Amino acid sequence: MADCQETLNELESYLDSELSEGRANEIITHLKGCTDCQGAYEFHADLRTAIKTKATNEELPEGFLDRLRDCLGDDVLGND
Amino acid sequence: MGAREDFTNDAMQYAPQLFATALRMTRNRADAEDLVQETFLKGWRAFDSYQQGTNLRAWLFRIMTNTFINKYNSQQRRPQETELDDVEELFLFRRMGAFDQSKMNQSAEDQMLELFTDEEVKNAIESLPETFRIPVLLSDVEGFSYKEIAEMLEVPIGTVMSRLHRGRKAMQKMLYEYAKERGLVDESLLDPQD
Ligand SMILES: [Zn+2]
Repeated sequence: MADCQETLNELESYLDSELSEGRANEIITHLKGCTDCQGAYEFHADLRTAIKTKATNEELPEGFLDRLRDCLGDDVLGND
Repeated sequence: MGAREDFTNDAMQYAPQLFATALRMTRNRADAEDLVQETFLKGWRAFDSYQQGTNLRAWLFRIMTNTFINKYNSQQRRPQETELDDVEELFLFRRMGAFDQSKMNQSAEDQMLELFTDEEVKNAIESLPETFRIPVLLSDVEGFSYKEIAEMLEVPIGTVMSRLHRGRKAMQKMLYEYAKERGLVDESLLDPQD
């Protein structure tokens, strides 16, 4: 069993899906029975989602994909 | 030339992700486009060494990360670990009580999306020293495993973990400062810390 301190210490690895299955299950069991740690888990999971969503919200420059294809095409013809 | 045409078609689907991460690395749209083009050219030329069935996406990100580190003469492999202040554990979580509740009336997940602007999140990432910024991008934004990141950066897995941990905390502190600047935080609401 994992206690609160262990759970909080390993929350990051758990969110990264980097714990062994056995250890992940111990963390899950703790989270189910502990609203404090469950709150911390949800907070960090939501934060992760927000960061990923916002950091990837980029428009490509106009003509970006065409230029990318063109530079590979030029390379084939040997005039880089 | 068939295999190479396949490369172009397969790799092209990752161009938007590569561009977004290139932009966080270089902090400049023109440099980001150059970096993605260089990544594709290198991938194209090295395609003989690419093994079918391995992860094309990870392979492209590895090329891009290495190109960025070499081109911008990054200190990634000889980092100054002290270039980032230590931030206490669970920094942002412990301060959520200080956020103005009237601005936080949606579901928890939407709340987090509303709480910080796109610009704030981008700035928080870009403000990290490169040593920490690159692992955070590869993990939080691109979802690569510790092992994949360790291979891309040619550092031990433990180093990846410690840079992620410190980088994420520093990013949380930065986000908190932005929220404070926007008047979302009332620190008098925080429980006195011992
Ligand atoms: Zn607990």
